[in-house]
Amino acid sequence: MKRSGLLGVMIVGVALMLWAGWHNLRERRLAMERAQENHVVLVPDKAGDAGQGTTDIEQPHMRGKVAPAFTLTDLEGKKVSLSDYKGRPVLVNFWATWCGPCKVEMPWFEEFQKQYAAQGFQILGLTDDVEAGKDTITKVAHRIGVSYPILLTDGKVQAAYGGLDVLPMSFYVNRNGVVVEETAGLGSKDEIEAHIKKTIASGTAPTAVGGQ
Amino acid sequence: MRRVLAGLLLLVPGALVAQEIGRLDAPAAKPKSYVVYAAEQQSVTAGKQVVLELHFRVVDGFHVNSHTPKSELLIPTQITLQPVAGVKLAAVEYPAGTSYSLAADPSEKLDVYTGAFTVKLPVVAEAGEHTVDGTLRYQACDQAACYPPKNLPVRVIFTAK
Repeated sequence: MKRSGLLGVMIVGVALMLWAGWHNLRERRLAMERAQENHVVLVPDKAGDAGQGTTDIEQPHMRGKVAPAFTLTDLEGKKVSLSDYKGRPVLVNFWATWCGPCKVEMPWFEEFQKQYAAQGFQILGLTDDVEAGKDTITKVAHRIGVSYPILLTDGKVQAAYGGLDVLPMSFYVNRNGVVVEETAGLGSKDEIEAHIKKTIASGTAPTAVGGQ
Repeated sequence: MRRVLAGLLLLVPGALVAQEIGRLDAPAAKPKSYVVYAAEQQSVTAGKQVVLELHFRVVDGFHVNSHTPKSELLIPTQITLQPVAGVKLAAVEYPAGTSYSLAADPSEKLDVYTGAFTVKLPVVAEAGEHTVDGTLRYQACDQAACYPPKNLPVRVIFTAK
């Protein structure tokens, strides 16, 4: 009698656990449906307090991979390829004329371009908003004071670099053509310089393969 | 009895898995939209000019340019509405923005919407149920990054009596 009583209690207990799991799952699905209907958007965990460092929007997905090759046109109409800089450390920076944080870091890039030129370091600024027009982009680039190449994107290069849901996006490519660092959003000047130093130090042989 | 107990023990992990699937505190997906539209049924007087209110909210931590940003380079918040029979749409009235600067660049003054903002839509409508479809185009940023322009579908449903 005692055994059957104990068995009954255990069966009821397990049944309750199964029911609770099913009920919880059902409630979550209903909550998700309600959220979709009301256009409720979940608040990001870090974007709001960004500014102290790089925005944690995306997990890096290019780090450790060969930088995708590209050939784009610069503001003078000249073709520029990533492979033109084979064997050199390169910073591929995506920006747009409507992006305030992009324009904060670009003068720093100009400074670092000059500071680390002797080590072969090169910055390429890829404009994400070609629809703004070449004249406007040229005017903005001059106003910011950058002298490194500004290239007009073709839609394919953004996709090749994983799609751009956020700007600025920077890819630090070492001498071997491998992305050693990837950042989304505005970082501090010190962080950017640290990434540049890391990129210059990384990769040894100028006989690179892949994108470059 | 032992066999029954063993069987019950095998069921326990399954129950625990079911509990895990149902957790509500799973990591949140990153937002794909930075402005929320709060659709609400409105009732107005037929045949007279009335003002419909469209309520939006910018997600916490973000800002969008106002309808009149301070630079021609910036993308303004703008509503495009499709014409619909029985409803005469007048020019949309946008709220004034608030002054805003990035912490990294205090000298650059922006004019933005943050939190809740309301766009007013003057209409003259015939009696009946009406639905006006449109799109809110906006471009959002936070303190450290900007996000490509987005189009938020807007549906204004109202009854004119």
